[in-house]
Amino acid sequence: MQHELLLEIFSEEIPAKLQRKALENAKSTFANILTRYGTIFGDVSSFVSPRRLTVVVNHLSSKTEDMMEEKRGPKITAPQTAIDGFLRSNQKTREDLIERDGYYYLKIHTKGIETKTLIGDIIENFILEMPWPKSMRWYLEDQEILSAFWVRPIRSILCIYNGSSLNEHIKSVDLTTCSYTYGHRFLSTGKLEITDFADYRNQLESNYIMLDFERKKSYIDNEINSMAGAMGLYFTYDEELLDEVSGLVEYPFASIGAIDEKFMKLPQEVLSTSMKTHQKYFTLVYPGSVMAPYYGTITNIPPTKIMCEGLDRVLRARLSDAMFFYNEDLDVTLEAFAQRLSNVVFYDKLGTVAQKVDRMMSIASTREEHRAIALSKADLLTQMVGEFPELQGVIGEIYARCQSESNEVCIAIREHYKPINANDDLPQTVTGARVSFFDKLDTLVGLLGIGVQPTGSKDPFALRRAALSVARLLCDFPKTLLDNESLSWYVETLITAYSDQGIALDQDTLQIVLEFIVDRLKMYMCERLSLDTEVVESVIRSFDSLDFDYKIAMSKARRLQKLTKLEEFQIVKEAYKRTVGIIGENVNELKTGSIDDLRFDDQYMVELQNTIKNQESDQEDFSKIVTTAKAVLSACDNVLINNPSQDIRLRNLKLLNKFLIDARNIIGA
Amino acid sequence: MQRSKTKSFQDIIFDLQRYWADYGCVIMQPYDTEVGAGTSHHATTLKALGEEHWNAAFVQPCRRPKDGRYADNPNRTQYYYQFQVILKPAPANPQELYLNSLMAIGFDLNAHDIRFVEDDWENPSLGAAGLGWEVWCDGMEITQYTYFQQIGGITCSVVPVEITYGLERITTFMQNVESHFDINWNGKNGKKKLTYGDVLSRFEREFSCYNFDVASIDMLLEHFNDHEKESQKLLAHNLVMPAYEQCVKANHCFNLLDARGVISVTERAEYIARVRTLAKNCCQIWVESL
Repeated sequence: MQHELLLEIFSEEIPAKLQRKALENAKSTFANILTRYGTIFGDVSSFVSPRRLTVVVNHLSSKTEDMMEEKRGPKITAPQTAIDGFLRSNQKTREDLIERDGYYYLKIHTKGIETKTLIGDIIENFILEMPWPKSMRWYLEDQEILSAFWVRPIRSILCIYNGSSLNEHIKSVDLTTCSYTYGHRFLSTGKLEITDFADYRNQLESNYIMLDFERKKSYIDNEINSMAGAMGLYFTYDEELLDEVSGLVEYPFASIGAIDEKFMKLPQEVLSTSMKTHQKYFTLVYPGSVMAPYYGTITNIPPTKIMCEGLDRVLRARLSDAMFFYNEDLDVTLEAFAQRLSNVVFYDKLGTVAQKVDRMMSIASTREEHRAIALSKADLLTQMVGEFPELQGVIGEIYARCQSESNEVCIAIREHYKPINANDDLPQTVTGARVSFFDKLDTLVGLLGIGVQPTGSKDPFALRRAALSVARLLCDFPKTLLDNESLSWYVETLITAYSDQGIALDQDTLQIVLEFIVDRLKMYMCERLSLDTEVVESVIRSFDSLDFDYKIAMSKARRLQKLTKLEEFQIVKEAYKRTVGIIGENVNELKTGSIDDLRFDDQYMVELQNTIKNQESDQEDFSKIVTTAKAVLSACDNVLINNPSQDIRLRNLKLLNKFLIDARNIIGA
Repeated sequence: MQRSKTKSFQDIIFDLQRYWADYGCVIMQPYDTEVGAGTSHHATTLKALGEEHWNAAFVQPCRRPKDGRYADNPNRTQYYYQFQVILKPAPANPQELYLNSLMAIGFDLNAHDIRFVEDDWENPSLGAAGLGWEVWCDGMEITQYTYFQQIGGITCSVVPVEITYGLERITTFMQNVESHFDINWNGKNGKKKLTYGDVLSRFEREFSCYNFDVASIDMLLEHFNDHEKESQKLLAHNLVMPAYEQCVKANHCFNLLDARGVISVTERAEYIARVRTLAKNCCQIWVESL
């Protein structure tokens, strides 16, 4: 096709988990390079499948843009030889010189060049600049050097521009671009000669490459659903697994396999996690979410009988391993596992996990809390969690049920990890939420207390996430989790618990921890709840210390956010600003005495005084403060507030200050 | 139609050796000390470093004490066989070479779902890392395929590819049997037939007991320290290969102690670090002496 560039980097298998991100990165990286080279182009689109990353550019004009740039030369005071040299090297004459700010400039006009001549360089740059989270080098035997970095070795590069193929030597991988590609590894043979993108797409489709990632995903979703549906089963939608499975096949073929009945007594979470993490199988359920003894799976070639037998067999082997772990674990009580936590280091200078558990105990109150804390970390030492770390908490709950712990304790063991990230739900139970709060707070106190702080994008101990979780728990859990104590009390009690264990923390730990959590609270309110930064900042500033009730802060901020959207708010804001301009904020000597006794001669001031008096009857009514604000503005416009008479001046200021105080009270900031 | 004769375990080994010998590999024999993987064979670890080109293939019995299941698990054992191929530098078509080798042993690539699934390999004890895949056959890992990037903390200047076949797993597919122990080892039928279980199940059971329940902890702790000291001493004499062997032996002692469950999480990291230091020093001096 006219003005179309098709580039395909054909490599060995790109990891499934990297493909989706690669789509975005390829597109933006390539567009950046095109711009940098001054080319004129329409859309850039990208495609990915296990063995290829493809970029298509349309309307890529055959010449780059003419470019005009101004080049700075020597100073006006420079010797003539320097100026002549500047002219000579740019092939210009004295008449072309432009004088500005004491320098000579020349307008340099670069003619556009053939895009075609740049494509080799563009590809070279693309390979060098395309970001991969993990990449490798391979040996270029003819050149006796290592290649550039790419996710896996590149084996060929297809490049078609304007309907004809280009043969550019790409030095960094020692390959020459060509006119062909390959289809499916097993369902297609030989080279496919390509003429343009439409042809590429068609040929790939008929050679079993599904080029559109999203289409592949929904195709898999549909196939599994309809096969499961035919058996009266459902497939629980799992985006993450669908993404990964899509990245593992060039063309998807679905089938349903069977789980041996003897494994169905394993906990459902273990079954589905084992199938998902190890085998990438889809869990199928009966109506009502009870797991069925079947799974859905995707293969890269049409399933054969021997293949399906193999798929069942490998699952049997996996599950018999899980069964081995399960039975071994159940021979040991959770208490016994918990005892071994004294061998597990929590953090280098912060003792063991057993010590962490002890500290969490120091801020707990109910019997259920104590029991849940005692068992909360025990499952870390089970073989099952060793095999499936993502099941921490879940396994704890299952094993706690097996040893007949109370329902509340069992749930709290699982819930105490929640919320694990910004998108996760909060715990449902108070005990679960409190233990989660204790756990995260202990981590924050300890690590911040010995000076471990996240820097930039590096937060190896997920402290920001822990602080965000604490903020969310305190804001959003329906009941208060602080049980009549302040947040400071919890932090201080933990600091004492650390010191009782012989672990000394920084003297300012309390302040550091409170600041750190409030920081996350601000971020949560601004980013997740879409409150304005200004609103959040002023609400938080309105509290005397950093230890305040987050729930109150939240409702104040929400109210203020609404008020700021009212038109009248601007009037209050304006009046507030002008008043602060005149008298400054929080002037203590102006606060003394009632304003009712002040006497004014000026009519504007009298009116303002009356308005303020009226307003005092109703602190919650925003419209009253608007009326006052209007009166303040008229007074400021018409009265000389800073009257030469000290007495009058002081009275004026006292009245205005009263407005400041009232305004702050009413808008809650 | 005539049913083709079942390919025996040993035939598969013969075919792989033939295939890679024809390709140009030197066919070596197993390292005669306990190792966790073919990677630990000096023909891999040490030879992967430096500029010299090197193509080798060999069977390596592997010991992974913790993986013992008293011969109860169909495909997890504390002793098994790898077929190790090391091509340095990696040629331009190693995946094709690998798939052809599967065909050479009689694998039907149209009947099985073969896929390359990301598995970046890392061996903390050897200070080694690489990028690659595990090769899946119908959802089961049958081969580990890695482009080495680093060994003993040293960047590979000529990147090799390591192809490690799980011989038992591949054979279960070829013979369509459920368990490693059902594998026909010698290809005979009737009275003369010997299965993998006939040859090795007692070995597996007894070693599972030894690894998990009986091995003398104090003795192993002492051995670990002795091997460590010996390795350091040998390095002082510039005897890299004997020093490396002591490092491998220390590592096996650690693996046994780990299986006995006497190593805490902290200690674990410490032991691994001690082995890695030995390995790194060996690799360092090896490279310097090339």
